[in-house]
Amino acid sequence: LLFLQRVLLLVASDVDALCACKILQALFQCDHVQYTLVPVSGWQELETAFLEHKDQFKYFVLINCGANVDLLEILQPEEDTFFFVCDSHRPINVVNVYNDTQIKLLVKQDDDINVPAYDDIFRDEEDEEEDSEKESDGSEPSEKRRRFEGDVIERTMKRRQRREWEARRQEILFDYEQYEYHGTSSAMVMFDLAWIMSKDLNDMLWWAIVGLTDQWVQDKITQMKYVTDIGILQRHVSRHNHRNEDEENSLSIDCMRIAFEYDLRLALYQHWSLYESLCNTSYTSASLKLWSVQGQKRLHELLADMGLPLKQVRQKFNSMDMSLKENLLEMIEESANKFGMKDLRVQTFSIHFGFKNKFSASDIVYATASLMENIEKEEPETTNFIKALDSLSRGNLDKLHQGLELAKKQLRAIQQTVASCICTNLVISQGPFLYCSLMEGTPDVKLFSKPVSLCLLSKYLLKSFVCSTKNKRCKLLPLVMAAPMDVEQGTVIMVGIPPETESSDKKNFFGRAFEKAADSTNSRTLHNHFDMSIIELKMEDRSKFLDALISLLS
Amino acid sequence: NKSDERMKKFKNKGKDAAALRRRRVEVNVELRKAKKDEQILKRRSISFRLLDENLNEEREKRNEIIQLSLEEIVEAVNGNNAELQLQATQATRRMLSRQKDPLINEIIELGIIPRLVEFLIHADNPPLQFEAAWALTNIASGTSDQTRAVVEGNAIPAFISLLSSPHMHISEQSVWALGNIAGDGPLYRDALIKCNVIPPLLALVSPATPVNNLPSLVFQVGFLRNITWTLSNLCRNKNPYPPLDAVKKMLPVLIRLIKHEDKDIISDSCWAVSYLTDGSNDRIQIVVDTGILPRLVELMASPELLVMTPALRAIGNVVTGTDEQTQAAIDAGVLAVLPSLLRHGKPTIEKEAAWALSNIAAGPSQQIQQLIMCGLLPPLVELLDKGDFKAQKEAVWAVANFTMGGTVEQVVELVRSGVLKPLLNLLLAKDSKTILVILDTISNLFRAAEKLGETERLCLLVEELDGLEKIEALQTHDNNMVYKAALNIIEKYFSGE
Repeated sequence: LLFLQRVLLLVASDVDALCACKILQALFQCDHVQYTLVPVSGWQELETAFLEHKDQFKYFVLINCGANVDLLEILQPEEDTFFFVCDSHRPINVVNVYNDTQIKLLVKQDDDINVPAYDDIFRDEEDEEEDSEKESDGSEPSEKRRRFEGDVIERTMKRRQRREWEARRQEILFDYEQYEYHGTSSAMVMFDLAWIMSKDLNDMLWWAIVGLTDQWVQDKITQMKYVTDIGILQRHVSRHNHRNEDEENSLSIDCMRIAFEYDLRLALYQHWSLYESLCNTSYTSASLKLWSVQGQKRLHELLADMGLPLKQVRQKFNSMDMSLKENLLEMIEESANKFGMKDLRVQTFSIHFGFKNKFSASDIVYATASLMENIEKEEPETTNFIKALDSLSRGNLDKLHQGLELAKKQLRAIQQTVASCICTNLVISQGPFLYCSLMEGTPDVKLFSKPVSLCLLSKYLLKSFVCSTKNKRCKLLPLVMAAPMDVEQGTVIMVGIPPETESSDKKNFFGRAFEKAADSTNSRTLHNHFDMSIIELKMEDRSKFLDALISLLS
Repeated sequence: NKSDERMKKFKNKGKDAAALRRRRVEVNVELRKAKKDEQILKRRSISFRLLDENLNEEREKRNEIIQLSLEEIVEAVNGNNAELQLQATQATRRMLSRQKDPLINEIIELGIIPRLVEFLIHADNPPLQFEAAWALTNIASGTSDQTRAVVEGNAIPAFISLLSSPHMHISEQSVWALGNIAGDGPLYRDALIKCNVIPPLLALVSPATPVNNLPSLVFQVGFLRNITWTLSNLCRNKNPYPPLDAVKKMLPVLIRLIKHEDKDIISDSCWAVSYLTDGSNDRIQIVVDTGILPRLVELMASPELLVMTPALRAIGNVVTGTDEQTQAAIDAGVLAVLPSLLRHGKPTIEKEAAWALSNIAAGPSQQIQQLIMCGLLPPLVELLDKGDFKAQKEAVWAVANFTMGGTVEQVVELVRSGVLKPLLNLLLAKDSKTILVILDTISNLFRAAEKLGETERLCLLVEELDGLEKIEALQTHDNNMVYKAALNIIEKYFSGE
């Protein structure tokens, strides 16, 4: 009944959000819910979009944005405005958690969000005010008074208890808000919703897979979480795709089939050449140290070990000899093992459209992300957003192919930048963290003014750096990376990422640290991104900001 | 229906909203109660604590605290054993004076109120008198129904006679109980006055009263605080106002109390005076005649909010009166204190100060002149510019009144002090009443300008300050009166070539 009104869909610019959005759009369509879609790339856009639409809409759905700040405080909505928030950003702001009228959070039941208990963080505010004012306020005397027993002692006790409570609250909130991390993919949450409503379709399942894979590609979740969620999705995949196995002839041009696979962790290799993919995949490139001459030699040794002629590996994968491809996976894995790459195979899913087209989930992630941060044409971000969204529909193979081409360019650009940063020693240890700053004029620097690309670059760079450095301490450090953002305005974009360790819990403390460093130095920063660990900063303020950050984290 | 079904699923997907809601409500209820308790707690006087402790110690020496069930209480209270009566009354009082769940209604339902009232007159058993007085005080501290239960138990005459008890703590407890009854509203307030509560109450304050068993000076202050509060409740509430002759009896004592040095006593007596001035001019006159205005003005400058707030309220009430009454306040020095209050920082104070100023500005031009001389224009303009919206509204009124009653020269002085810019800015306010007042004010300004032949200059000034575009924009305002007023100004002064 409530949804007879138009709904405003506010969607963040990341692949998981797009996937969740696709699922929700499909659900809306099937229930004839009218909606308006507005892409938002940061808090400012979110606020503007809200202000522009708040008079026409009462229901707002926020995807991958909004959970980690006090929405009511930021947006100051009317009381009859409601927000449905599906956001993987953690920690969820406690006010959002405990608001049960205007804010509805869509969270997976088994997601462990560790929210502090209500009583530990909230007290009746009026109560607080009354209490703090009680010594000197000018309010009218009460009309009647009850006489209590032994109250003075109680009063001092109360005050002491309150102070203790206050201190404990600070501690609890500090612990709770200290680290940023990600919960279950929003696409998966949305798919769950569809499933519970018995409205889940194979397309939706695929989007959920892509959403999860995005979290993995962007390194937002732990390996453990990835494997667990893959397991969940695998059950849905077999539920939806089982009948195709015995009905061979049901495969038609427009049918789609999803399959679980142990596939190579090589980016885009089925749409590239094996050689290019080996060179531009972070995992292989870092492990082999491809930025050095020795690294290149190692790559050739590896290929020789697999028994693959150079000519073949440099061709398009599609055109490789079928005979070579037959046992390719096993061969590559075996050789890679010898070269210390034990995790070259990963659990993932692939999709077949008809007979001809096969994509792995990560292909889609790379392609979609690249479409979203396409810098080739000066187009408004909304256009990129819509293109990226469209590329997720199964009918849009050209958009998808276009995305794949962009993704290759992006990966090459990242790889080249990583190589040049390592070779020219641009990664410096600042004590508590590593720091790398891209200069204006660096090739592809424009691409890295975009948050997703910059984050990918940072993660690849850190991986490579950890493989290249001999300094054991440095291997355990997090990385802060800066790139020019807007030359005219003299701003840089800065991102902080957690250390690259095997057991990394992917929790990021830079969000809070950036906030504090900016406060203490009055640096002109803009915390516009939904990830708090990505900020914009005035060029001139950078050095004092960094100094503050160093002393804060030392 | 499908969508309902859908909503349910949304909710179930999120946090368990229903459970949270229930919890939140519970917490709220409990905290609000605790808050209310604390608020009342605030009014507690030190003397009673000292007294309680003494008494408790004494009593604990005598007998252990005995837990009694409600049934046992009824039985003992209605019985003839004096020892048991005391125990049961004490148990009742204890239940009624604990922080949580005072069980007021349960105790009323026991039907023991008439018995407790009887105990009040057992002059031979002061502990029993005291316990009963305390218990009844706390019952009367509740809702109107609960207070009524005490009054209908015929407690008023008993308490009034106890005012003259030789035992100070009993007399004080009676003052407290009567305060609760008076605080219920004009009906019981006047019932008390009819029963002649005032003479014995005032006698307690009179220095001639022999003070028995006086343990310490602290005790006296606490007692005095209670008396002051009860007196303030006897002055409180309109519809109807308290009888004039009662007011006339209480005023001299209040005037004495207001000169005390204890800030709680001062505060409550100021509140009492503020109630008495919140009425027709003849009621204001009675207060003015006591010559208390200079003291009130002095208290307006107190750093204690507790004192300053009611003093400001009282003076604010006085300047709503006649020109002569307002002049009395001016003569008492109110204009020297107002500038700092207009800049106080606490919105409620600034609002009250602006309200007082607006009423002074509504006076004859001599008073306006005094207002100018005392340097009120700069803080007024500041408040208009940067104050809280409620304070700004009062400031707008002050300016409006000023332009109504001021001479042309005075209006020029007002414009010179920079009033136009913030005034015009407030045309963007949402409140149409305020906009209307501002538009009237602008018309007044133009009328003054016309007299000086300076219309052109004022037009230019308004235009330069972006006032014209704001007035023009108001021609599309929803409110018809606003639209007309704006149109009128535009047509009259801005429609030329």
